[in-house]
Amino acid sequence: MNELIRTEQVTFHYPGEDAAVLKKINFTIEKGEFLAVIGSNGSGKSTLCKLFNGLIPHFYSGDFEGTVTVCGQDTRTSSVAKLSCHVGYVFQDFENQLVQARVLDDVSFAPLNYGKADYLQRGRRALKIVGLDHLEDEFVWQLSGGQKHLLALAGCLAMDPDIIVIDEPTAQLDPYHAKEIYDVLKTLNEQFGKTIITIEHHTEFIAEYCKNVLLLNQGAIIWKKTVREALAEVDLLTELNIYPPQVAQAACRLSAGEPVPVTLDEGIRFFGEKAMQHADDVRSEHKPSAEEPIVTFEDINFSYKRMDRTRVQILKNINLMLYKSEQVAVVGNNGAGKSTLMRLITGVKKPDSGILRIGSLSVTATHPERIADQVAYIYQNPEEMFIDDSVRKDIAFYPRERKIAGYEAKIDEILDQFHLVDLQDKDSRLMSGGQQRRASLAIGAAMEPSVILLDEPTANLDMATRKHLTQFIVKLKERIDLVMIATHDMQLVSEWATRVIVLHHGQIIFDGRKEELFANPALMDKAGLFPPQIVKLSLALGVKPVAYSVDSFVRRFRKEGSKWQPSKISQTK
Amino acid sequence: MAAVKNFADKISFEQIKVELLNTAYGNDRTLIARLDPRTLFIWYMLFGIAPWFIYSKTILAGLLLFVIATTIMTRVSRLVIFILILGLLGESGYMLIAALFFGGNLSIVVPLLMLTMKLSVISLASMTTFCSMSPERLGEGLMSIGVPGQVSFSISYGYRMLPNLFDEYNHIFMSYRLRGKSPEKHGIFYWRSAAYFVRLAMKSFYPLLLSMAKRARTTVEALETKGGAYAFSTPQVKKLKLAKLKIGRNDYLFLLLSLIYLVFIFIIGHYIQL
Repeated sequence: MNELIRTEQVTFHYPGEDAAVLKKINFTIEKGEFLAVIGSNGSGKSTLCKLFNGLIPHFYSGDFEGTVTVCGQDTRTSSVAKLSCHVGYVFQDFENQLVQARVLDDVSFAPLNYGKADYLQRGRRALKIVGLDHLEDEFVWQLSGGQKHLLALAGCLAMDPDIIVIDEPTAQLDPYHAKEIYDVLKTLNEQFGKTIITIEHHTEFIAEYCKNVLLLNQGAIIWKKTVREALAEVDLLTELNIYPPQVAQAACRLSAGEPVPVTLDEGIRFFGEKAMQHADDVRSEHKPSAEEPIVTFEDINFSYKRMDRTRVQILKNINLMLYKSEQVAVVGNNGAGKSTLMRLITGVKKPDSGILRIGSLSVTATHPERIADQVAYIYQNPEEMFIDDSVRKDIAFYPRERKIAGYEAKIDEILDQFHLVDLQDKDSRLMSGGQQRRASLAIGAAMEPSVILLDEPTANLDMATRKHLTQFIVKLKERIDLVMIATHDMQLVSEWATRVIVLHHGQIIFDGRKEELFANPALMDKAGLFPPQIVKLSLALGVKPVAYSVDSFVRRFRKEGSKWQPSKISQTK
Repeated sequence: MAAVKNFADKISFEQIKVELLNTAYGNDRTLIARLDPRTLFIWYMLFGIAPWFIYSKTILAGLLLFVIATTIMTRVSRLVIFILILGLLGESGYMLIAALFFGGNLSIVVPLLMLTMKLSVISLASMTTFCSMSPERLGEGLMSIGVPGQVSFSISYGYRMLPNLFDEYNHIFMSYRLRGKSPEKHGIFYWRSAAYFVRLAMKSFYPLLLSMAKRARTTVEALETKGGAYAFSTPQVKKLKLAKLKIGRNDYLFLLLSLIYLVFIFIIGHYIQL
């Protein structure tokens, strides 16, 4: 009776593709579930979720077999409009589902279309649930990314659906805002009795919020289990390129047979009972170099104009010197000014005041084209870098324009290095997210810069792609003087960075070693940062020095009994 | 040349975006903006179309004064006014020079002035009408006079996406600059640099079109899940959407005052010929 969704033998082929994206799918979803759908890139997660509101088969042409029943309706005979009264859908590119200019108009758009006379009340009620009620007269484009996502969710809630589907909320949001969304989803699930289905890569969120997990691989369902059972399958998940929570990874490698912890609290209990070898605090010294800085910021200010012609200050009095062979991570929430800081270095934006130099070159007085001889900037969204019609041409754009002798051979080498040889004639925009990311980095590599700026390089990648990318970033150090990364990925920060800069409301509130940052919870909290789970676990257990990766944490236990050696990771410099 | 550079720095993408959005949405709290769209349509019939058939300079001058007043009342953005003045001066100036060059004399000034006045009245009336209506109001207004719902949705959606289009275009343009090579020398009158930028500005449209097509895919799906198609085909929904349109006292008053003013200047035009 409580069954909301049932699929029977569902198979779906996209037209023109040999393999089916979904293969004989059978499962049911009960009322009140909080389900995570997981699987590596291209396993059919989004396709699966598009079954529930009838977008498949009504909107995607392709071969559809089997039956999907949603709230008692067969999706083949029902319509998208009818099913959408029961199923709300938040797309991965949610920005494109906001179709009206003002917040209240947008949120009440669906109830108005369905002819509900109380559409404004419905809209206001939905805004209140997600906490945007103070913004009902605001323009959509003035909202932050996190607020836009909440608005997209509110747009679904206005119809009071039984089921809410959310496609990868953590992909486009920083961890702070992702948590905000999950807290709202939790309320909806627990207080309003909504059934939530989320597509999610991030198993730590799954462990904290979800009740069940559905694992997909190459279009087939492997299993549907409770969160506890699902995340304990560390080996299987790792094999399918999904990161289990770090506590589970560590526990699994250290003890066979015991039930594996999946949340931080469980991890603390699990490891707390075990003896832990401590060592003296090893510090990765961050000493200012005696050399000339490569990049210098002196009293840099930057602001932009809002629609009402008032100016918003993005960066305030930035003073910063970056030296050769530093590995700099810039962290902070969305809107803290990370991207702006990096774009100023490229010269595409000029500061309102202050002096900005690369070596002795004044950035403020130089064209971006000149600066590009030294600096490469890799956009957060790779698609914005694709200006030609094939991967190869895009990578060759820089050397071709500069008529660099023998560049074709160099391009071949780079294509090979980034595993893009087979894709070189494809249009970059039509590739998958991971492939696009590789192509965007290859474009940067072909520029042979002395400074490389990466904006959120690991966002939205599965484990295999992320690993490959991290290897590339580590290798960069050999050829490039300065690598600077703006990121939310604290795992990347903890494993890679030698210097961390924390931005908060346009100001630098911390500049130093990651050890100091992670040991300062008040500061992390202020900047809206979450340390990696393994760091939190080490801190809670009083492990000294703190382990920055699962490997180093595990090594700490293995060394038990023998003379303990400080691990490599904790002395990165 | 420094002045040109200074000016070029001022008109950034951001600046144009802000001005355009202000034109569309920034002045929806004025007295005229609160009128019913249908009132404005009727008013526009009077002041936007009638001038074509009026040849009395007195009446045209009277109309011009009136629409200048209404334009001020609607707080039209500076950019639009600037473009209008540039257009009018350019058009009339070019015709004056052409006429003089091909053997005309200064008597051409009077008919040209007449034409400029007509164009000004019509342009300012259009600005009053269309700049004071937000795209949503315009869409509702059009729907109320029988234009299909798809059209009014397209108008409001187009404006909603405008800032995104601008940002994306800007990003693509910058992608070209971040990997491209600008001319070594500016050339006489900066022609090399100008040619380079014009080329980039045109090339940047192609990637923009492709990425917009991709975005549109999600929007079309989302529109379907939000009951868009159902709404376009259901009369009750249209009624609900138009329920907030109401012709009130202010509307009648505005039309009446405009009419009285029209009658007044026609009488004056009858007795006094400029």
